[in-house]
This record gives sequence, C-alpha cells and structure tokens, in this order.
Amino acid sequence: MAETVAYPDLPTESPMGAPLDWAWLRGAKSEWGVHPKPSARGLTMLDIATGTYGEVPDRPKHRSMAPRGADVDDDTADMGYILNRKTDVWADNVVELYEEAVARQWSATRDIPWGELTELPSDLEHAICQLCTLLTEVEMIAADLPAKWMWRLNHDFIEAKMFLCTQIMDEARHAEVFRKRALANGGGLLLSRSGPTSLLRTIIEAKTYTQASALMHLLGEGFVLDIFRMGELIAPTDVEKRIFRMCMQDEARHVAYGTMHLRYAVEHDPDVAEEIHEALDVGEGVLIDFGTAPDVSTALAVLLAGGTEHVEDKGFPLSMELTVKQLTSYLARCERAGLNRLERTQIPLDMLGIDVEPIKAAAGSAR
Amino acid sequence: MSARVDTVAFFDALAAEMNAHPERFELLGSADMVAEVVMNRPEGDFRVRLAFEGLGCSGVTEVEGGGAPDCDFRLVGPLAAWQGMFADIAANGRATGLWTINSLALLGTEIACVGDDPMGLDKFSRFNQSLQEFFDGARQVPVGA
Repeated sequence: MAETVAYPDLPTESPMGAPLDWAWLRGAKSEWGVHPKPSARGLTMLDIATGTYGEVPDRPKHRSMAPRGADVDDDTADMGYILNRKTDVWADNVVELYEEAVARQWSATRDIPWGELTELPSDLEHAICQLCTLLTEVEMIAADLPAKWMWRLNHDFIEAKMFLCTQIMDEARHAEVFRKRALANGGGLLLSRSGPTSLLRTIIEAKTYTQASALMHLLGEGFVLDIFRMGELIAPTDVEKRIFRMCMQDEARHVAYGTMHLRYAVEHDPDVAEEIHEALDVGEGVLIDFGTAPDVSTALAVLLAGGTEHVEDKGFPLSMELTVKQLTSYLARCERAGLNRLERTQIPLDMLGIDVEPIKAAAGSAR
Repeated sequence: MSARVDTVAFFDALAAEMNAHPERFELLGSADMVAEVVMNRPEGDFRVRLAFEGLGCSGVTEVEGGGAPDCDFRLVGPLAAWQGMFADIAANGRATGLWTINSLALLGTEIACVGDDPMGLDKFSRFNQSLQEFFDGARQVPVGA
C-alpha cells in the first residue's frame, strides 16, 4: 500500500476553479516502495516483477488499459478484450524473451556488409532472388498475425504484448533485409505464387490466438527457422550468410515463445490440446504443399547445389536431408509443447525416413 | 604460452578474451545459455561446460563423464573437427565457410548439436552469433599441438 499522508493544506480547486484530486498523493491502494534491484545488465522486466507487480492474474479483474498493479477505478472503461485468460497468451519464458529481443536487435541497413556483395552467376542470383521474394512475402505474416490479436489481448498480460511488439519489429526487419537483398545485386523480386498465400491465409484466419500461435510460431516459423539455419549451405556469399544468421536468432525467439505458450495453454487447460491438434492437422498439409511448391524447392535445390549443374545429384538430395531435419525439429517442439503429434501427424514419416524414437526419448526426459 | 584446444586452459583463455572485450558482444546483445563442448578422443572424451551470462562467459568447467547433462545443448564431435575449426579461426581471424559452428552442426556430420530439450537446442540458434564470436576469440589465443 502507498503510504497515507494527509497533506491537509492542499487546495481543492485549481486557479481556474476546477476541482482537484489529490488521491494519488494521499495513499493509493497500490503497492509502494518495492525498490527492485538492477541486475548486472541494468533494470530488466524480470527485476521489476517484484511484489504484487510480478503477479500475473489467471483472469484479470478489468478489461482496461490500466497498468497491472495500479489502483484502478471499478468503472474503468472496458476495451473489449477477448483474450482475458492467462492461458490464452502466456508463456513462462515470455519476460526473458522480451529482454532478449530488446538486447539483440540489429539493423538491416547497418549490420549487413552490403558493400561486399559480388556479382554471381545468373542461376545463383536468380535462385537467391526467388528465395528472397518468398521470404519477403511470408515473413510479414508473423507481424500481421500478432497485430491482429494484440488489441484484443488483456492489458494485464503486458509482458506478452511487449514481446509480440518485438516480434513485429523483428519481422519488419526480416521483410526489409530480404527485399533489400533481392534488389541489391543486379537481380530483383521474382515469382509470387498462390501456394504461400494459402499458407498465410490459413494462419491469419485461425479462429483462436492459440491456434494461430500453433500455426505460426510452431509450424510456420519453425519451418522458416530451419531454412535460416540452412543459410550456411544455401547462401552464395558471406553477405547472405550474415543475413540468415541474424534472422535465425530472431526467429528462434519466436519459436521459443510459441512452444512455451502452447505448453502453458495445454498444461493449464488440457481441453485446448484438441483445438491445437485440429489447427495443425490442417496446417501441416498446407505447409507440405508450401514446402514442395515447385518454385520454392527448385530455388533451394539450386542454392544447395551451388548452381544448376549439380541440382539433381547434390541439390535435391541435400534438400531432402534438410527437410527431414526440419520436420524432426517440428515434431520435437510439438512434444515439448505437450502435443503428441507423432500418432496424428499428416507428415508421411515412414516415406521421409523420419526416426521418431529419439523424439519420443527426448520428450520423455524433458517432461 | 599455448594450450591444446582440448584443455580447460584453452577455454579459460577464450572466456578471458570474451570478458576483456564486451564491446565485441554488445552489438550482438546479451546471451544466457549453458553449452557443453565434447571432443571425442581415443583416450576418452574431453568435456567442458561453458556458462554465458549477459555479455560474458561466467564459467568454464571440465565435466567428468556420466550423469545427466546440465546444459542447454551439447556440441559433440571428433577432436579433429574442433582442431580444424580453431585452425581456420587462427588463419582467417574468424571462422569462415563451412568452419562456422553453425555450418559444422547443421548436418551433424562433423559436429552434432544435441540435447534432450528442444528449448535448449533452440538456444543454439538464439545465441548462435554470440557463441561464434566466443569461439572466434581463438584468434588471440595461441593453440598448441
């Protein structure tokens, strides 16, 4: 509680004759004097999650923009939030991830050595431009999707909102850096086909935020994260490698939030698991269509082969190997999120030669 | 004085290099993770646990075999692969081409990034460039035979 001091001699009216309210000075019913201690890196959101300010309610009392922990009027305005349960958006790592995101921002203008780009053989320039066209298109879904839901998200979950803000900034930067790369080296944007749009519509039209998070963070961004990891093999020069590495770090944060959000949701509301499974049943099919779309798979194969000459004997086999890694990572993350997809997945595990035993074993030991 | 890469002294030197130059890590941002480096040798594995906090390396500990690994992820590979990576760093000032830790661990044929928890494994991606910069500090650390 804030200390109560009377300050009896304060005026009751302003010089213009308006009534004055000194309640904030005379003892609001909020916690006072918490004195959070800065850690070595400064005063973090984790540091100030102290006393009642660190208590995130399962079901907030208000639906207003009042800051959590303030002394809020009972008749405060209802903002029409629909995500009013902690299970709707929370993840146990979200505060840590927000701080990490703020600390690890980078600039697509300043931190990429654009001046080191060199002229590439035409097939490689076309392939990297095609991939950048696709990535410029799909990356912004991870900005639009949180933006669609954020204004519906109860303000008591401010840390989750703040994290999603960083994700929006990250994705803006990704769209920026891939658009810049497509244009920077004598090429340009190439084909935009209907396949990606179908995946993006599936994500943006998800009925609940948690379904949307499963489709976007776990499935879509997990898939893209592994493409970024592959940057080591697909990037024609150190410039693109740098781009992929920096984007990879951002993308991994988003996947980490989504995985732990879904885990939190399933742990606290087991009924939500079926809802997530239903979304992933559809999403996996759409993602497979997306990943095997002729323009995506051919551009990746050409990059992996270092050109068109070895696309068949090197590009496609390597691409298949990496696809198996992508899908294995996705299934492992599902297990970590508390979602057993191994029995239900639409992914042809046997045909792809995906070994599920290590995933099961890891899931068992992580629980 | 030079140290073999499969020694605590070598990793202590890398940690000292990192802690002496936070400015190199500031652009990348703070990193919090525990990684274990495992070098497979005929005489037995060398295992060292590296704890990172903020812009520094806060702990280098040799790990005896056995027991559950207390780390986010392990980087496991033959000593020759590690020697190759550090030799490339020494020659070029930083890991180049397929000698970056991300490249080496991508297919898992040279060095595998393994762990029981996908969340721990994802930290390898989240803090990848900080880890690479830590290893790149080997350009300042003479490597012995």
